[in-house]
Amino acid sequence: MILLIDKFALGKYGKWFGLLSRLTLGGVLFAAGWLKIFTPAKSQMAVRAYEVLPISLANFLGIALPWAEVGLGILLILGIGVRFSALAGGALMVVFIAAISQAWARGLSIDCGCFGGGGTVDPGETKYLSEILRDTGLALLALYLVRYPLTRFAVEKLAKTEGE
Amino acid sequence: MATSSSGGDKFTRNLVIAMVALVVVVGASFSYFGSKGSTTAAIPSSVSKADGYGIVFNADVPNVPTIDIYEDFQCPVCARFSGINGMTIEKAIEEKKAKVVYHVLSFLGTESILAANAAACASDEDKFLAFHKAFYANQPAENAGAIDATFLKSIGAAIGINSPKFAACVDNGGYSDWVRNVAEAGAKANVNSTPTVFVNGKEIDRNTEYFNVEAFTKAIAG
Repeated sequence: MILLIDKFALGKYGKWFGLLSRLTLGGVLFAAGWLKIFTPAKSQMAVRAYEVLPISLANFLGIALPWAEVGLGILLILGIGVRFSALAGGALMVVFIAAISQAWARGLSIDCGCFGGGGTVDPGETKYLSEILRDTGLALLALYLVRYPLTRFAVEKLAKTEGE
Repeated sequence: MATSSSGGDKFTRNLVIAMVALVVVVGASFSYFGSKGSTTAAIPSSVSKADGYGIVFNADVPNVPTIDIYEDFQCPVCARFSGINGMTIEKAIEEKKAKVVYHVLSFLGTESILAANAAACASDEDKFLAFHKAFYANQPAENAGAIDATFLKSIGAAIGINSPKFAACVDNGGYSDWVRNVAEAGAKANVNSTPTVFVNGKEIDRNTEYFNVEAFTKAIAG
């Protein structure tokens, strides 16, 4: 499996797929952050609703996280520091998946608050499975970029590597 | 796999990374300090700092349950809640059966802040409950630009507030610092949804007691 992916990544379409991954992961991160930075109180509420962190830490994250998402999104879209930003973005996705899963397992009724919104919702309105699947897909794209950070149309041109 | 940058690119790379990091840190700091309350905020009458800066009714009535109601004026479910239970709450206040604290949150956006400010102005005229009721009966769509000073003054006029003081208060947004204090206190109280109702510090049952008059009346009896 790894060999197959290696072959694809170093082949003709590898860097194009890298570009697609970068724009998808970066675009989603940027949009998710942008939709939240103007309503910090709501974003804080979304983090608190997971009932994992102490309230003061949740309130801090509710403000810091959207800005971090915007920053990582910009770097990925531009193609600068791709390996680092993909690693950070992927790590975020893993944290989100864990947070949503525990909310689901504990029977909380919350909106993930991924793109604004968030907080307690009616039990019939939860969308845990699709949220987890989406974040899993994004985490896989991040993983690909960590391993193959060289992509088409990146601002940062990297030195020759074994693939070229 | 080598990923080192080549010479000239390194400068651009570091510059962009530094700029992005700066934007993130400055932006987050602005959000953080912007959401902080202020100890010098002008506070409307009947507001109690000890009650999370809420607007308090029957503060001094002994041996009655305390009902904390967290709402955002723009929240449609709050309008529904108010339509169903407004009478019950007003009756409990009138008959001094409960101490009621209204926390006007503003997480839905700037128009929520304008509405909360105007409600505080109405509170100074002893018309908070009337304003609250009239606003929800005419609640505009969320963040559609409909809630402005003109609209809020027309709500005031509809319930008989015609004083220049109220108009000035709505125009100046003099209580917007207080609105932030309310928001900060609500965040510390772990309120994650609106409406949220606490009776003696404990939330009532979201599944059964919020939108049913009989169940709600029973729940707030303490």
